[in-house]
Amino acid sequence: MKAAARWAGTALVLSAVAFLLSPYYNDVYRKLLLWITLALSYNFLFGVCGQIAFSHFTFYGIGAYAVVILIFQLGLPLPVAIVAGTALCALVALAAAIPSTRLEGFYLGLATLALAQLFIVVLNEGGTLTGGTGGLANYRLPKVFGFELSGPRYTVVIVLLLIGTFALLARLDHSWFGRACRAVRDNPEAAAAMGVNVARTKVIAFAVTSALAGAAGMVYAFVDNTVNPPIFGLENAFLLLFMVIVGGAGRHAGAVAGAVFLFLLPFVLSPLIGHHHVLVFGVLMVAAIVLQPRGLIGIYDELRRRIA
Amino acid sequence: MRDFLELAVSAAASGCVYGLVALAYLLIMRPTGIVNFAVGEWAMLGAFGAYVASSVVQLPYAAGVAAVLLAMVAAGWLTERIAVRPLVERGAPVLAPILALLGMLVVFRESISLMFSPDPYPVPYAFGFGRLELGPLAGSYQSFFIIAVSLVVFAATWLFFERTLAGKCFEAVALNRRAAALMGINLARVTTLSFAAGAAVAGLAGVVAGANISAHYLMGVPLAIQGFTALVVGGVGRVEGALLGGLLLAFAEQLTIRYAPIPAGYAQGVPFLLLMLFLLLRPTGLLSARERSG
Amino acid sequence: MSSGAVLLEVRSLTKRFGGLTAVSRLDFDLREGEILGIIGPNGAGKSTTFNLIAGACAADAGEIRFAGQSVLGLPPHRIAARGIMRTFQHNRPFGGMPVLENVLVGAHTRFRSSLWRLVAGGGTAEEERQRRRAEELVDFVGLGGLHGADVGTLSFGQGRLLEIARGLAGEPRLMLFDEPAAGLTPGELERLAEIVRGIAARGIAVLLIEHDMRFLLPLAQRVVVLNFGAKIAEGTPQEVRRHPAVMEAYLGDAAAL
Repeated sequence: MKAAARWAGTALVLSAVAFLLSPYYNDVYRKLLLWITLALSYNFLFGVCGQIAFSHFTFYGIGAYAVVILIFQLGLPLPVAIVAGTALCALVALAAAIPSTRLEGFYLGLATLALAQLFIVVLNEGGTLTGGTGGLANYRLPKVFGFELSGPRYTVVIVLLLIGTFALLARLDHSWFGRACRAVRDNPEAAAAMGVNVARTKVIAFAVTSALAGAAGMVYAFVDNTVNPPIFGLENAFLLLFMVIVGGAGRHAGAVAGAVFLFLLPFVLSPLIGHHHVLVFGVLMVAAIVLQPRGLIGIYDELRRRIA
Repeated sequence: MRDFLELAVSAAASGCVYGLVALAYLLIMRPTGIVNFAVGEWAMLGAFGAYVASSVVQLPYAAGVAAVLLAMVAAGWLTERIAVRPLVERGAPVLAPILALLGMLVVFRESISLMFSPDPYPVPYAFGFGRLELGPLAGSYQSFFIIAVSLVVFAATWLFFERTLAGKCFEAVALNRRAAALMGINLARVTTLSFAAGAAVAGLAGVVAGANISAHYLMGVPLAIQGFTALVVGGVGRVEGALLGGLLLAFAEQLTIRYAPIPAGYAQGVPFLLLMLFLLLRPTGLLSARERSG
Repeated sequence: MSSGAVLLEVRSLTKRFGGLTAVSRLDFDLREGEILGIIGPNGAGKSTTFNLIAGACAADAGEIRFAGQSVLGLPPHRIAARGIMRTFQHNRPFGGMPVLENVLVGAHTRFRSSLWRLVAGGGTAEEERQRRRAEELVDFVGLGGLHGADVGTLSFGQGRLLEIARGLAGEPRLMLFDEPAAGLTPGELERLAEIVRGIAARGIAVLLIEHDMRFLLPLAQRVVVLNFGAKIAEGTPQEVRRHPAVMEAYLGDAAAL
């Protein structure tokens, strides 16, 4: 109960912030919340379960495109579209996970990289269904129970998505399942000897985190009221990986720290170096791996220890 | 038929480029186990190097290529020093340098985008622009040049591994790092050399391919994917597999564009589809690593 | 001494690697609460036997029955679920987790809450219960005070003790030890022997693959001697020590006996 109160309190505070911000900063805030959400689920896959995949934004895209296509091209009501979209993500994730999680180490990364690129090709060539390279635009979120969700009120939806994702992952993490994931990451052979079904654990972790990315994608579809291919490409998949590594892979706090840091960095840097902030991301990525593998959160731990 | 033979020459040239990139991966993977996804950026650096050598410094072609290859050796050495050596010395898992190299990929690409505008830059042809007919085969000078250069590189690499002591050292490291270290092979030196050689080969791929596709700061990742696909199709263990895989991939791409009744855009998906299928169904590739006795 | 029911039955177990027969028609039984040692010179097939029982490799012929049911050909995680836990000769801790979490991974097969229950916020009582058991086990093997320690900071001997606690967390009916004495100091060996006796006293069957006979012979109640993959002797440590075939197999290594 105490945990539930803490989650609710956090949701309340994060939602309240939305009503204090101007429309521009509300938009920035929404994107930040979405990046944190994605970083949390990606961290569970990469940092906790040790699987390196570049398909997280693919599932984000499948969720976003699915909900838009189902509502505005097939005319389904919103709740049905959400259920069908989530089911689609989980199904595609399972179909991808069952064969590909057998791949060791970076080979999973390359297979999912191919999947991600294939998805972009399909989006670009999808004709009127996907809107081709221009994507889909000019649609609006239907009223939910006669209630129009726009402006800061839609930001509350994103806060709920973030809190829901975080709570779900935290529960999984502090259970036998989270430990099994970490065991698979640290030493698969020993994990199997302890009774962990390595293949099943990997598939579940992949499918759950991918479905969470899909859910986030459905929410994203109504943030800009447009979906187009470049958002879901390799660039953002790399950035997500960088966020988790720079923040500190394997820890929720690390994922949050990395997402906030790399998301806000360009705002600070753009007066200095224009749009070349990606170069800084690359340097930070290399520096984190070589100099500080525990990431920002490791630096924070160290500082706290020194002060104490 | 004439149409097909024309297509065959250009496909073979693209295949050789993919093969060179695959070889760059292979040179590093064999002794170290590291998948270096930044090879595509090395090719990009090679292409920009060729542009600078010809258009800015105005060196003759051969001197320009030699200068670029020297610079690439330095780039490979530097990459290894920054993103690999500290991790290997610390005993970090093999995934750590792979991820650090992804960071280097972005560093290379963004450095170039900082120095050059996002326009394509011309890379010189070896023998100018012209058409050569060899019996029934016809193609551009550059296509034949690419094929010839690649064959020389592959033959030299093959001879290096099969016929020289240094090559055997690489082999020994590929088979068993600990045993090789006990035999007195300097692992750090082999790693450095493999990165230098990989960078030179990838840079060469960029130099020769750049003439057709121009130097562009975003050219690296597609080449990296095509090269890795070639490697996986041909078989990760063998030099000749890299060439075979590159040729097969290029022919699959070009035949799809030319003859398959699907929108041309879908042809871009061919390497991705091949990569996925081979990784999932036949991860050892067409030519599996040779069985070696004890 | 060993009056418990027969728990593990190994019959005609055979494993070949190419032309080499690593284990050949091996038979033995193991009872509840009994300590059985398998010894033999290098290459005798001890490790292969161990791996066959633990499911780490597949047998070519024969049968392994555990608690009356065949476990032959099951993957390692299903064997663990049946109640056979193991240690590794070269310690294999989960490096990214503290000591107590490592032990809790050993309890993996004992958890009953489904994923759905976890997502709904359930399973906390079970988690607490297992956590307390794991704490007891950490204390039992003598790592008390190190519950939250990073496994990287443990000594080799402490790492071996962690392996044992982790295995016990799975509530095994049979505990397999892969060369547990290797790399331990004399003081640690004494502690290890005490722990193994304590485990057997709980009614758990113990199977040790061991090289170090000065450690094994005083500890085991029964010994199976392998050479070239075949059983050449079986009996109490006293019987085995005097067995002519054993003396021959260990000729030149007599000091070991």
